[in-house]
Amino acid sequence: MSAFELIVPATAEEAVAALRAAAGDGVAALAGGTDLLLDLEDGRVTARRVVSLRRLPWRTLDWNGPTLTIGSTLPLRRLELDPEVRAGFPGLYDAVRAVGGPALRHRATVGGNLGRSAPASDLVPVLLTLDAEVELIGAHGSRGVALDRFLVGSRRTTLAAGELIRAVRLPERRPSAYLWQRVRPSNDISQIAVATAYSPTRRTWHVAIGGVAPRPVLVPEAAGALGGGRPTDDAVRRAREAVRRHAPVTADKRGSEEYRRHLAGVLLDRAVATTLARFA
Amino acid sequence: MSASSVRLTVNGAPSPLAEVPHDERLLDSLRWRLGLKGTKEGCRTGNCGACTVLVDGASTLSCLTLTHEVEGAAVTTVEGVADDPVGARVRAAFADAGALQCGYCTPGFLVALTGLLREEGRAAPVEELLEELASNLCRCTGYSAIARAVKDARERLP
Amino acid sequence: MSAVRRPDADLKLAGQATYGTDLDAPGMLWAALVLAPGPRGRLRSVDLSAARALPGVVAVGASDVPALAGRGERDAERPLFADAQVVYPNQPLAAVAAPTLERARAAVRAVRVDLAAEPAVTDLEAIFPEWPGSGAASSPHVAAHVHARRGDVDAAFGSADRVVRETYRTASVHQVALEPHACLAEADGTTWRVRTSTQSPFGVREDLSSLLGVPESSIVVDGTWVGGGFGGKGASFLEPYALLLARASGRPVKLALTYREEFLLGRTTLPSVIRLDTAVAGGRIAARRVRLLLDVGTSLPGRDFATGYSIGFLLGPYQTPAFEVEGYAVRTNKPAFGPHRAPFAPQCAFALESHLEEVAHQVGADPGQFRADHLWVEGGTTAMGQPVAGFGIPAALAQARATAARWRAEAPAGHGVGIGLGFWSTGAGAGGETRVVLSERGLTILEGEREIGSGSVVVGLAAVAAERTGLPRERVHVEYGDTARAPFDSGVYGSRTVAALGGAVDEACRSLLATLAQRLGATVPVRLEVDAEQLVAVAGSSHRPVSELLTPEELRAGGLSADGKHYGRSGAIDESIVLDGTFYAFTDFSGAVHVAEVAVDVETGGVTVVRYAAFQDVGRTVDRASAHAQVEGAVVMGLGTALTEEAIWRDDGRLANPGLLDYRIPTLTEVPPIEVTFVEGYPGAGPSGAKGIGEPPIIPVPATIAAAVRAASGAHVTDLPLTGERVARALKRG
Repeated sequence: MSAFELIVPATAEEAVAALRAAAGDGVAALAGGTDLLLDLEDGRVTARRVVSLRRLPWRTLDWNGPTLTIGSTLPLRRLELDPEVRAGFPGLYDAVRAVGGPALRHRATVGGNLGRSAPASDLVPVLLTLDAEVELIGAHGSRGVALDRFLVGSRRTTLAAGELIRAVRLPERRPSAYLWQRVRPSNDISQIAVATAYSPTRRTWHVAIGGVAPRPVLVPEAAGALGGGRPTDDAVRRAREAVRRHAPVTADKRGSEEYRRHLAGVLLDRAVATTLARFA
Repeated sequence: MSASSVRLTVNGAPSPLAEVPHDERLLDSLRWRLGLKGTKEGCRTGNCGACTVLVDGASTLSCLTLTHEVEGAAVTTVEGVADDPVGARVRAAFADAGALQCGYCTPGFLVALTGLLREEGRAAPVEELLEELASNLCRCTGYSAIARAVKDARERLP
Repeated sequence: MSAVRRPDADLKLAGQATYGTDLDAPGMLWAALVLAPGPRGRLRSVDLSAARALPGVVAVGASDVPALAGRGERDAERPLFADAQVVYPNQPLAAVAAPTLERARAAVRAVRVDLAAEPAVTDLEAIFPEWPGSGAASSPHVAAHVHARRGDVDAAFGSADRVVRETYRTASVHQVALEPHACLAEADGTTWRVRTSTQSPFGVREDLSSLLGVPESSIVVDGTWVGGGFGGKGASFLEPYALLLARASGRPVKLALTYREEFLLGRTTLPSVIRLDTAVAGGRIAARRVRLLLDVGTSLPGRDFATGYSIGFLLGPYQTPAFEVEGYAVRTNKPAFGPHRAPFAPQCAFALESHLEEVAHQVGADPGQFRADHLWVEGGTTAMGQPVAGFGIPAALAQARATAARWRAEAPAGHGVGIGLGFWSTGAGAGGETRVVLSERGLTILEGEREIGSGSVVVGLAAVAAERTGLPRERVHVEYGDTARAPFDSGVYGSRTVAALGGAVDEACRSLLATLAQRLGATVPVRLEVDAEQLVAVAGSSHRPVSELLTPEELRAGGLSADGKHYGRSGAIDESIVLDGTFYAFTDFSGAVHVAEVAVDVETGGVTVVRYAAFQDVGRTVDRASAHAQVEGAVVMGLGTALTEEAIWRDDGRLANPGLLDYRIPTLTEVPPIEVTFVEGYPGAGPSGAKGIGEPPIIPVPATIAAAVRAASGAHVTDLPLTGERVARALKRG
């Protein structure tokens, strides 16, 4: 006997209706399943019904001038192998490559990553520095919400019952970088991760850190310290100090608070250098 | 009862499956319904790569994939991988390099590398291929022979 | 390397090899274990009635296990199911079986357990915050105590030029064979039959006989292809549960662990604290004190061995005029300590070699020279008074030092080169028997042992037979039999397969050749050749086809058979130095010296291994390709122990990282180029002087990496593994 009933709607409307109909019963939306299935198996998520998004026409990648819209069910591997994405959002490429291996990335999706809101998400820090906007679709139509507002905490978002992530929109190409420290260099959860991006139109730096609970966060103090444009050595030093001070880091089995704070500074320094090297 | 039929093509043969529970993993369907036990069960949490199969040519962790989610797809397992010209080269490269010991991770490596080489051809440098295979774990060989096989398989591509 | 393909390669590459996890049988039930909900406590009740009420479910618990009366302490200490007391987290309480795995898991959830939980004791240093004093040996926490002294240690320390005192800590590491434990059992009332993925079919039979209270003659154990062993598949584990369920249900029963359970229940290396004090006089070691606290979990069979054997590796292959060694095997609420490739030797070598580096630094000596000056000498005696014979480590060290000197000269800033040494004695002491059968087509070796991956059975034993008889390798093959059919052998472990069982194969082949010589009327040695596809026996100028030398009865029976035995080699230590407990002699003198070049990121503490070289005393290489592969594999496994692997036991007794994401074995991207050199000419106990090769090359790895990290950055790290955080902390300490 199956632990849940799988529903496979053909349209967004049907999907939303299916989610709403089962809302009281325990329901989950299934994209790639690489995270959800583990939680279902271990009982961290209980759902009598699982709504598969596989038939929805959301495996898309659309450019509109400088704006990139990534369909929520697009496999990460497709994003990774797209040369324009890599060129326009190098930090996003770094982050996607940090998620499992190709066999996982063939199924894992951007929408799933955001909707599941894992504290250790490799995509979220970069997407925060890119000012990502999440496009949601529900019974009452669509709405857009800034990623920073969308994420609440570990496994918590502002997604309403019966709502789905339709897409993620990145407003402009940005030189960017994503660096992490892990006990094992590959295939591990980051002890801490730092994303940096520079907006050439707004002349602003953006800094986010990940691998911290309850969710990756922007560190505006560090971004501010970097100023607008090519930062001086002194500005980088101040930014490094700011990230060390303001990063909401705690100790867990992956490392002590002291070490992770130290790493945040080191990685910020390097991420800025990498980003600068990627200036056009 | 949340069980229904699934149509798959497995290693080129139509393989209709009846009464498949909705929560069944592709790994279990392959091993226990179709008897294709070459696909190995290791960690079952997506961290070892031993269960890798190709779904419409793309390497996929069968332990983290619902059978119903690949309805209509063409699945290739280690038993069928050498029917593919790239897969045959990969297998020969592993044999020549002696890139196996206990053999438990071997099907996952063969399938994963076949998928990568079909996807990227020679476009990907060896270092990138090795990085991409870092999600397939091996405890016996120390990977040195596997790395030699990867390099050799890439060289052998038509 | 030779291009000879492993005989099992095609089968495995085609996905056609059947492992324990692949077993099934018509009408089979699936089993699952009921695990204790807490790490420790008094078990008030385990109520199986609700589980048994489920359709198609059978369940067995402590009361279904034959009484332990009349059996030894070994079994009393490892009950199949917790009875009155739970002594380690997730200890099995019962086992259930059902027509599907899902229903078996539902039955597990239906079992009601009443456990009066007590706080777990998991930390060695919480048990003994101070070093155990006199009388500690009788503490309920102490499972075994060993103590020995030679010479006037106090006087040597009192008059020393310099004394170096250090404490090292090592982590719990897991075997991580990729195939979880799995077996399939059938019990028809007279015969208990189990197919299982094991390193020791006969060892499992012996265990089962004792655990189930039935004679060995009514138990048949048959192996499968083994998806990695590394010591973790030596003794019986799941087989008794599956057999009890098979008897209760009258159906075949399959039991396999989930990978999570592999970590939770696995018997493997547990943490230790090692204190090493060295007194130096005139630039030489005058005396040493070695003290060991070894976590043995809920205790283990042969627990004396864990401490009494390990202590030898903490003294190492070095001349030590006076010493005192003392070790405690300490009980904690963890699963039992168990063997893991060269059990606990990499940890001992890490502590000892790092300590010798420190001593050399303090006395201003070159660490390589300091080691060379103190190594045992051929024909001399070990610290414990055993004669040294076939000792190739000095030669290996000389070659390693030459490589290290070259690499040092080439290394860029930020890189460092280190040397580490690992001594080992292979398990040549355990006995075994074999049978070979010569037909007109070739030679068959009948084996109960299964190939665990190292190649020692499919390649190694066949190579020994080919070498002795003169036959080409492809005319020798291994045929597997269950324990009812194959001759006894003690198992594929301890690097003993070629060294010990190979000796039996060698003897069987000699006996076969002697029979042929008699039939040929030859006075010179007989060899077998293939001439125009025909097997021919040749002695000097006389030669005859094998088919003509075999009797019609032999031809009908499949060929001429011959048996061989290996009774092992034993040694003895000087018992006059023993004050308490049991110490163990070495049966063989093998080992390896390694060189690593690493780069250390001084900001993060991250270590990258740039290149690696291994020099191994193998006595004599039987098969170069598999020996080479063993060294590569062991080095990388050792890199895990050195850098990333650590089972983290929380204070509440739970394992924090029971999975392959957080328990970090090396991946393809962390592997440096590895140069392998075999040092030959220092014979061991095996055929024509061969030594076991699978274990020695893991031993020096953590020590070698630690030395290289120190050379690169100055960080002297005393805890394993050398994670970035530990290296960064050591750098900060300066």
